[in-house]
Amino acid sequence: MTITTLGESLGTDAAGQVPVASVPPARQRRRSATRAGIVPYLFIAPGLALFALTVLYPTFQAFQLSFFDWKLVASASKFIGLDNYVRAFQDDHFWLSLSNSGIYMVLTVVPQIVIGLAIALLLARKSPTQPLFRVLFYLPVVTSWVVVSLLFRFLFSDDGLINFTLGDFLHLTDGSTPWLADRWTALLAICALGVWKGIGWSMMIFLAALQGVPTALLEAAEMDGANRWQRFRAVTVPAIWPALLFVTVMLVIGGFNVFVSVYLMTGGGPAGRTDVLLTYMYSQAFENLDFGYGSAIAVLLTIIVFVLSVVQLRVFRDRNGEGAL
Amino acid sequence: MKRSRLIAATAVAASLALVATGCAATGGDEGSSDEPVTITFWGSYGNGGNSAQQDVLNDTLIPAFEAEHPNITVQYVDVPYDDLLQKLTTSAAGDELPDLVRADLGWVPKFADLGVLVPLSQAMPDFQELADATFPGVLSTNLWKGDYYGLPLDTNTRVLITSQAALDAAGLDAPPATFADLEKAAGTLEGTGISLFADGGLGAWNISPWIWSGGGAITDDDMTTASGYLDGAKTVATVQMLVDLYQAGQISTGITGNAGATSTAEGLPGNNYATIFDGPWMNGIWADQFPDFQPIYAPIPAGDGGSVSVVGGEDIVLTASSKHQEAAMEFIRFTQTEQFQMALVPTGQLTVIKDFGDEQVATVPYLKVFTDQLATAKARLAIPQGSEVDTILNEELVPAFEGTVTVKEALGNAAKRIDELLAEQ
Repeated sequence: MTITTLGESLGTDAAGQVPVASVPPARQRRRSATRAGIVPYLFIAPGLALFALTVLYPTFQAFQLSFFDWKLVASASKFIGLDNYVRAFQDDHFWLSLSNSGIYMVLTVVPQIVIGLAIALLLARKSPTQPLFRVLFYLPVVTSWVVVSLLFRFLFSDDGLINFTLGDFLHLTDGSTPWLADRWTALLAICALGVWKGIGWSMMIFLAALQGVPTALLEAAEMDGANRWQRFRAVTVPAIWPALLFVTVMLVIGGFNVFVSVYLMTGGGPAGRTDVLLTYMYSQAFENLDFGYGSAIAVLLTIIVFVLSVVQLRVFRDRNGEGAL
Repeated sequence: MKRSRLIAATAVAASLALVATGCAATGGDEGSSDEPVTITFWGSYGNGGNSAQQDVLNDTLIPAFEAEHPNITVQYVDVPYDDLLQKLTTSAAGDELPDLVRADLGWVPKFADLGVLVPLSQAMPDFQELADATFPGVLSTNLWKGDYYGLPLDTNTRVLITSQAALDAAGLDAPPATFADLEKAAGTLEGTGISLFADGGLGAWNISPWIWSGGGAITDDDMTTASGYLDGAKTVATVQMLVDLYQAGQISTGITGNAGATSTAEGLPGNNYATIFDGPWMNGIWADQFPDFQPIYAPIPAGDGGSVSVVGGEDIVLTASSKHQEAAMEFIRFTQTEQFQMALVPTGQLTVIKDFGDEQVATVPYLKVFTDQLATAKARLAIPQGSEVDTILNEELVPAFEGTVTVKEALGNAAKRIDELLAEQ
């Protein structure tokens, strides 16, 4: 049931407004409509209150802190206006962290969508082994970030399994690549973890969406002589478009919020070259106790993610020709 | 409501006046000492699941103190070390700090700067006497803007650690005692697959022993400038020696931040590395994980400045929000006694009191090198931005090790950035 139909069934219009009746018999209706208008809000009130307390309030506080040279003890803190933001724009390390977050986002989002969709297509057909493979691909998603980050750190260590496989087994390298010693190879290792851990999640969403692809349309296309690729492009993709949009937006947000894997695999090293925005923010706030600057970085990250999400929704909607959600 | 506020304001004003005039404890608090009080003490004695230290504290030391002071109850709260700074930070913000904290020595200036600690050198009439008994390096970590905000509680330092196998491979009869010995050993180790030295970074904890032993300095004695010191000729020469060894493959890439390099804790017993610098806790770690490994401890190799290491450890600090400051100061005095200090030695804590050094070595012989090293060991920059200094050193020195900038340039840049931090004081 879409939001619009839900609104209609509850006696409101699409914008959530209560329709105003102009004839006297509508009085009774109006009262019930008003009641019906309040009811949904009562249902979401507990969740909203929790959201306001645990998300909105801290967000507002962080926003407030970002205008201060914050010293933990309020009386010692000084209002400095936009200085923390100016500092961020002039801080080379902020830009390096932002570019690393962007690189991580690009290098993880695309493979997660492509590979996730490919696996979902393979597993959409019924077969005896299908449930087993679904579980196997989904397993990394439910495994702790801490555990898999440490696991990947060992895999990519100088004498880890990756070097052993590439060097001693496949003879593709000399087996002594110091993966975590260089910005690019370390980012690659971190992205590999992100992709491996995330594929199962996008696969699950796509699998659910693929159930909704009309079989009649696929069969009709087949009878019309459309090959597999044409059927996929003309029937399957439009049918799963909302899922594709959802997965993309969520993965982009998740990509910019990468923290645990970087913190545990490289600690932002060597010399801060693999820092992403959140590890940089964390070190400013909790190691240097510079909560004002840390908050400014967090606010900037929120703005970036918000803008990117809006842009994606617009682009996808335009391509789809109508509101996808 | 108004009345209680007035009383509170008067009490705060009175206590401030007492602290400011340095006579807070002249008469003691004997007048009110009959009233039972409970003081809270936060620390990480139980860190890492090894409860030996916490057991000594809870089962022996605190009961002994309480027996001597029947009106004082000490409530010890163990906080894992990794969480302690964050917990202290949020508690300071919420004005909910305990009476006493066992603080990492790098945190003392941070919290003193925030105004949440009591300057003990003003509040305790016997402070000087207690301070004089401690090792000067570790005492200096409590100094902030002319006042001491804590007393050393336990200490440690880094020494050179090697193994017989490494010495044999390097063709040495004894651990390298000088920079020259090290460079000579590097030549012998070439081609053996064993690196001469390994460390986990280039922060102040890592690089300071080299700089000081080489006769250089990080700042002037008054901590006003790093330029002319950190980029001085002796420091440049020492770091250049390390860079040359690194580029010859004699220092592990762990020093430049390779998280995938074999750790020093594994690399020394595994014969990947010939020497490392580390602290007394390694003995217990190796005893558990590499029971056959016999570490050999030796002083930091000497350069033009002699053999100088870096001080680590914890200080005990009293919070300004404590309502039982006299009782808390009594406990601080107790931590400086032979009973308290020596009870923790067998659990791997080094005493901070100079006079107990011999007794410490008699109790735990392998601590001799550490005890001797502490006599000359120095503290890192005791400023609130200590962690930023580490970041600067790492960021500027890694390119020098990689050969993309000269050592002089790298140290010059680091000095300029540290000068900016010092100017904020």
